[in-house]
Amino acid sequence: MTATLFSPNTLLLDKHADYIAAYGSKKDDYEYTLSEYLRMSGIYWGLTVMDLMGQLSRMNREEIIEFIKSCQHDCGGISASTGHDPHLLYTLRLAILYTELIILCGTFLPVLYISIQVDPFHTLFGVAGLSLLGDEQIKPVNPVFCMPEDVLQRIGLQPDLLN
Amino acid sequence: MHGRVKIKSTAQQEEEKRKEKEKKLKAFVSARDAVLKKRSAGEHDEEALQLTRQLLSSNPDFATLWNYRREVLLHLETLREKDEVQKLYESELHFIEACLKVNPKSYGCWHHRTWVNTRLPQPDWTRELGLCDRCLSLDERNFHCWDYRRVVVKASGVSVEQELQFTDRLIGSNFSNYSSWHYRSTLLPQLHPQPAPDSAPNTSPSPTTSPQFHSHRVCEEQLLKEYELSHNAFFTDPNDQSAWFYYRWLLGRAEREEMISCVYVSREGERVSVAFSKPVHAQSEGLMLVLDGQPQQVEWRSTHPRLRHSPVWLCDLPPGSISDMSNEHNLTIHWTEKHTHRDCALYTGCAESWCRDSATNLELFRSELSVEKSSVLQAELQSCNQLLELEPQNKWCLLTIILLMRALDPLGHEKETLAHFQTLKEVDPMRSTYYSDLCSKFLIENTILKMEYAEVRVFSLSNKNLTTLCHLDQLLFVTHINLSSNQLLRLPPHFAMLQCLEVLEADDNAIENLEGLYHLPKLEEVSLRNNQICKLSDLESLASCTKLTRLDLRGNPVHRTAHIESELSQLLPRVTALSL
Repeated sequence: MTATLFSPNTLLLDKHADYIAAYGSKKDDYEYTLSEYLRMSGIYWGLTVMDLMGQLSRMNREEIIEFIKSCQHDCGGISASTGHDPHLLYTLRLAILYTELIILCGTFLPVLYISIQVDPFHTLFGVAGLSLLGDEQIKPVNPVFCMPEDVLQRIGLQPDLLN
Repeated sequence: MHGRVKIKSTAQQEEEKRKEKEKKLKAFVSARDAVLKKRSAGEHDEEALQLTRQLLSSNPDFATLWNYRREVLLHLETLREKDEVQKLYESELHFIEACLKVNPKSYGCWHHRTWVNTRLPQPDWTRELGLCDRCLSLDERNFHCWDYRRVVVKASGVSVEQELQFTDRLIGSNFSNYSSWHYRSTLLPQLHPQPAPDSAPNTSPSPTTSPQFHSHRVCEEQLLKEYELSHNAFFTDPNDQSAWFYYRWLLGRAEREEMISCVYVSREGERVSVAFSKPVHAQSEGLMLVLDGQPQQVEWRSTHPRLRHSPVWLCDLPPGSISDMSNEHNLTIHWTEKHTHRDCALYTGCAESWCRDSATNLELFRSELSVEKSSVLQAELQSCNQLLELEPQNKWCLLTIILLMRALDPLGHEKETLAHFQTLKEVDPMRSTYYSDLCSKFLIENTILKMEYAEVRVFSLSNKNLTTLCHLDQLLFVTHINLSSNQLLRLPPHFAMLQCLEVLEADDNAIENLEGLYHLPKLEEVSLRNNQICKLSDLESLASCTKLTRLDLRGNPVHRTAHIESELSQLLPRVTALSL
């Protein structure tokens, strides 16, 4: 994408926050419904960004918690949405959210559900998930960047609160 | 969507679009609800296949539906004859291909296709290979397709030679093909392996088991051909990274033979320290300690609780077994899992003893070069230097020059290497931390080599812009270490491997974490002036270093802590000379 005369050169934080806050209410939106298969990721992205912008309070906490609870499966895995199957990716998303943002009421099963996908992408998520759930053999992982804390420390990168 | 320019449309067009989407949404929702309902009811019928097909055709990433589809197919298998099952799954393959056209990078599709081939009574691997060829011609870097191709090749017995020719074709038509170069690096060691080295020293020959040592390296004859191939590629387009990366792999070292690199014995501590060629979990390796012909019952422990897999392990000998200076002892550590062992003799009048191979002998940091290989690399270094004159900002060229110098003569080229790293950081500032770390690693390697040549136990690397520490497992026998005036942030858990350390100087860094100063049995003196130690808790691990008597903490923020002197004397009662 090339910048043009009409492209903004600062982040329009209020507009971004408005968009995300309103996003979940568009239940009859076509793209929203079709992207149901990655809803848990969407929640992770939305909540993380709202937190970075200091606007987390605008999100509907109860509704989100109810939704997440409905995605917990007995095996310890988390699914993308209600009625979907558990998957490693969404289980990691929840592990990140649990650490950083939400205090869940009720029980949370800290068991890592193993997925059948053998590739670096999913291996990273598995290991990061284990780290966030407190596995001592693995380095601490920063939930915002999904990178080891010591690497972030060395390059001097800390998530900034935007305001 | 990404990268799409927003086109303004008329109000009417907007309304039409809205109505269209509403219709689609209704259809999707009713199909989705019907499917999920059927699944909860445990229905595995044709209707389930039909509904999932409808949904997956436009939305192939809806993973749960593929899961359901597999359940249905497995059930239908039980009701059909073999030839019907063949047809069922062949039609499934057609369906998957249609879905792949919608999203060629759909995890769900590729995974499902892999699964279908395990269920097909007669898989058609030629067709599958053809599919891979077609997908790769559309997108050479579709990693899903590459992974799938590897599955097909393995299952169908396509020869490594044929696959190598496949990469020849791809690379020949387009040098910028990272995936093909990478694939090549996995094939070559299979087709042209480097011959296994001679029996490692101290390996007991075993007629029943042959250690399957695969170095994942390439024999020299082929290696020289590969050097030329990549040379042509990166001189054709010096700004394409693929061939430079491949060349870097070619210059790399062989995987280390599994062996015990060092055994250290201390009479006073009645302790044995063992360094392995790679991190291990001692309790699972079948380690046996034999003292003067008698196997000893010992408990192995890591140097730091955070290191469950570690290259260095410790154990305590039964009290009194080696403490008498007038006795000579012979110790052997057997690594039964790898059929290797190492001896260490503790002589009369000696307080300690160790046995190790030098880094040079082990080819730890660089391989021994034949005359031919050496001259080829020398010529390459010259060519790259010429290229650098034409393209002084080319980071790939700079990095390759550094790697060539390390392969040829790391100590001789040290000064030039540092200068090139400086240029690299200016030319590629976004990766300056990576280059600083890599430079630190090379400097540490050089210092280890110098230390060995001088036959001393002092490791000194001050004022060298060190940003990280590594190869700490090679410093087991070091007594003095000077890391002052660098940019270190921490002494990590691995630092605890310096079991012989007596004096540590690490002034003028930015150290805030001392985790690695943990149960260092001989550590007497620590100087950490002008660092970033802020709280008393940062110093907790020092309490485990029972011989520590001198501690210099001047110029650290911790001195501002209330009652710091009394707190410290409580935490570290044995420290008699404390400077704040």
